[in-house]
Amino acid sequence: MPLELHDENASLIGVVTVDEVEQLVGWLRSSQRPRVSLRRCNHLHTGALQALLLFRPKISAAPKDAFLAAQVLPLLTGAGGDTSRQGNEPP
Amino acid sequence: MNPLLAQFLAEANDLLASVDDGLLQLERNPGDPELVNEVFRAAHTFKGSSGLFDFPELTRLTHAAEDLLDAVRGGRLALDSGMADDLLAAFDLIRGWLAHVTAHERLPATAGQDAAGLITKLRAPLGGETVATDQGQEPSAVRRIDPPPEWLAPLGTEWLIETAAWLSTTASTLRFVRYLPDQDCFFRAEDPLHLVRQVPGLDRMTVIRPEQWPPREEYDEYACLLSFVVATRASTGELEYLFRYVPDQISIVELDGAAINRHLEGEEAEDLETVPAAAPDALHVDARLAADARAVLTAAHRTLAVGEPTGTQLLALIGSVTSAALALGVPLDLTGADREAVNAAVEGVLGRAPIEPAATPPAVDHPVLAALAAPPAATPAGAPADLPAARADDPGGQVGTRVLKVDQEKVDRLMELVGELNVAKNGLTFLAAAAEEEFGSRALSRRIKDQYSGMHRIAEELQAAVMDVRMLPLSVAFGRFPRLVRDLSRRLGKTIELVTEGDDTMADKDVIEALGDPLVHLVRNSLDHGIETSDERIAAGKPGTARLTLAAVADGDAVLVEVSDDGRGVDPMRVKRKAYEKGLISEEELESLSDTEAVDLVFRAGFSTADQISDLSGRGVGMDAVRASVEKLGGTVTMRSELGSGTVTRLRLPLSMAVTQVMVVSVAGQRFGVPVDLVVETVRVPAAEMGRVLHQDVVVMRGEVVPVIDLARALQMPWAPDDSRDRAVLIVSVNGQRVGLLVEQFHREVDVILKPMEGLLAYADEFSGTALLGDGLVLLVLNLKEVLGLAARAA
Repeated sequence: MPLELHDENASLIGVVTVDEVEQLVGWLRSSQRPRVSLRRCNHLHTGALQALLLFRPKISAAPKDAFLAAQVLPLLTGAGGDTSRQGNEPP
Repeated sequence: MNPLLAQFLAEANDLLASVDDGLLQLERNPGDPELVNEVFRAAHTFKGSSGLFDFPELTRLTHAAEDLLDAVRGGRLALDSGMADDLLAAFDLIRGWLAHVTAHERLPATAGQDAAGLITKLRAPLGGETVATDQGQEPSAVRRIDPPPEWLAPLGTEWLIETAAWLSTTASTLRFVRYLPDQDCFFRAEDPLHLVRQVPGLDRMTVIRPEQWPPREEYDEYACLLSFVVATRASTGELEYLFRYVPDQISIVELDGAAINRHLEGEEAEDLETVPAAAPDALHVDARLAADARAVLTAAHRTLAVGEPTGTQLLALIGSVTSAALALGVPLDLTGADREAVNAAVEGVLGRAPIEPAATPPAVDHPVLAALAAPPAATPAGAPADLPAARADDPGGQVGTRVLKVDQEKVDRLMELVGELNVAKNGLTFLAAAAEEEFGSRALSRRIKDQYSGMHRIAEELQAAVMDVRMLPLSVAFGRFPRLVRDLSRRLGKTIELVTEGDDTMADKDVIEALGDPLVHLVRNSLDHGIETSDERIAAGKPGTARLTLAAVADGDAVLVEVSDDGRGVDPMRVKRKAYEKGLISEEELESLSDTEAVDLVFRAGFSTADQISDLSGRGVGMDAVRASVEKLGGTVTMRSELGSGTVTRLRLPLSMAVTQVMVVSVAGQRFGVPVDLVVETVRVPAAEMGRVLHQDVVVMRGEVVPVIDLARALQMPWAPDDSRDRAVLIVSVNGQRVGLLVEQFHREVDVILKPMEGLLAYADEFSGTALLGDGLVLLVLNLKEVLGLAARAA
């Protein structure tokens, strides 16, 4: 299952598709202080990303997936989309 | 690491070596069409494989090399030493990249830039034209620069400043995409983020959130509220192709540094003083000054990497970094910055500054460094180590892990020799006995035994080492199933999810190879008979998607492989009835067989429950063939099944088939081997305790009646037990039943290499093979199943 939901902790695993979005949102709504682990997540559907951006759960583990770690994680952990990548080596 | 990538790296090493070799020979012998072909093929394979991964620079560079080689191959060009140099340089560069890929799983950051020059050089003899994908290499005159759109802002001012400086310095451009997905795009199975992540050469992605989020209670998770702004090195053509289904939702612009600066000017006046002034300057920085500045920065970076400068130390460092950066045309304001910020800034400047590898003096020579440089330690990221100036004496890093490709036959030969060594080693025990008995020297006998134990240990280790070489993961045997299951399930109209577990369990290659056919039989049987159609499953209250699991686990010196499904299971009543109809069981058996025994009937020859013969299975050759081939490997098959909830077939196979442990017994003066796996125990029974039930000798052991078979009679050898001595009975377990074998004498256990019966003896099914003993005798190893059959017929 791409979602492992517990009381306040959830793990997103593998490819989270649009089918899981409703369940994820339901969990985010009901959870007091949600914490989400992305460690084993390979891809998030846009809907899931949007939900995470709205509900802003604490990200308890960074994704191993390179794209998610480099591009998506800063959006979820940083103060906003404006976080600069100052100092990164030129691509 | 992705196994595909690991394999690519391992192969790349060989390909690179063959390209190097071929090019060097070609230089000496320019006309040889065979050599050109060889190099071309290697480059071609390389390009093909590189396309599997997200290494566009690699593909482009190999493509250029391939084009050149193709021209040479076609006789349109004659290879001169200049071209050979360029080709060698290209492959050296690739070797450097792959070393980086081995460590970091991505190309070095400077790859595109390093490749550009080489690609131009490689294409020069071909008339210098570049293919359409080489956007980055096009002369800037033909580049179309769009006016900067206002939606660049979310990318972050700081990033834009940096990028603008970088683009101006390198006179290159970036493509920027804004993607505004429709609100209801999720319903059309679109995943905007997925599209974005497919953008090749993605440099920066930012997500634009709605100005105002809806209240959490009213939030509709199926309305897409996000939009994206992406900066990429991909060409406009690539982007248009990628977003071809949503052309109305995207806008693409191509911008250079100046265009970005114009955008910044319009928005933030305060940034103007520094950036536009500095950026053009960067091009005219004095080379020597730049080299010195780089050296300072490199040293600063190294200091930051190994130590934790604080207070005045840090202040001094910041001072030198700022002035060095200024010299390179990158103004920095590091007042009050901490260690990390300085480090980040240094990396940024190092990456962005014009790279002059030849002019960079060795870092330690610079006077400023004496104060800055810590003991030479880790090479800083993005420092000259990654630079393309690979020379022949440059070790060039390690590509992939070192893999030795060895011909399978050589390993087999090695295994055979280990076996012979075992046999020779076993000879020592006979020698020890002879020393004691024939020559009466007990001391010599003991010394021989000491020697033997030493050799035994070494031989065991050697054997284990060779076995280890022959070990393959079960994934090799499982590999073909995803495709097979997919094709068959589609044909049968069933939805099946294949799960494999324990792919990395290792077993001998012979076992893996021999496992293939039985597994295919079992999987097909499951698909065809076990698993129901989705409708039937849903009607039975099960999920519509069936699950077929292939699992492997190591169990001591055996490997267990399970094929399980959650299908309808085996109906013991139906099986019994079918078996009775086919005459496989008698009427009494029909009544008396337990459910477990009934399930076992499917392994009987000629059994099939399918009413209709399909092209998959059902001809009644399946399961008995499975059992026969598994038993030939020295393994067992068992099936557990629960009606309505599924079937589990378990194969138990030896980890290795090369060496068999046998117990030696003799009867009528002749020695025979019995596989130790089957032996339960050896007992000596006084002649008076042997009982007789009907026509069968039996012995009662711990309350259990065990039939005893006279091995001599079964094998038709003249021998009668001596009534005055206890009877030697070897208790074995065959097909889950205990049977006693009456023998003359027990001997030792030995490790033997079993050779199958061949030639004139091939018909003798009662023997599974022959083996050579240490004293030169040939040992016949019994196939107990057949022996029991013989005994039953003889009785």
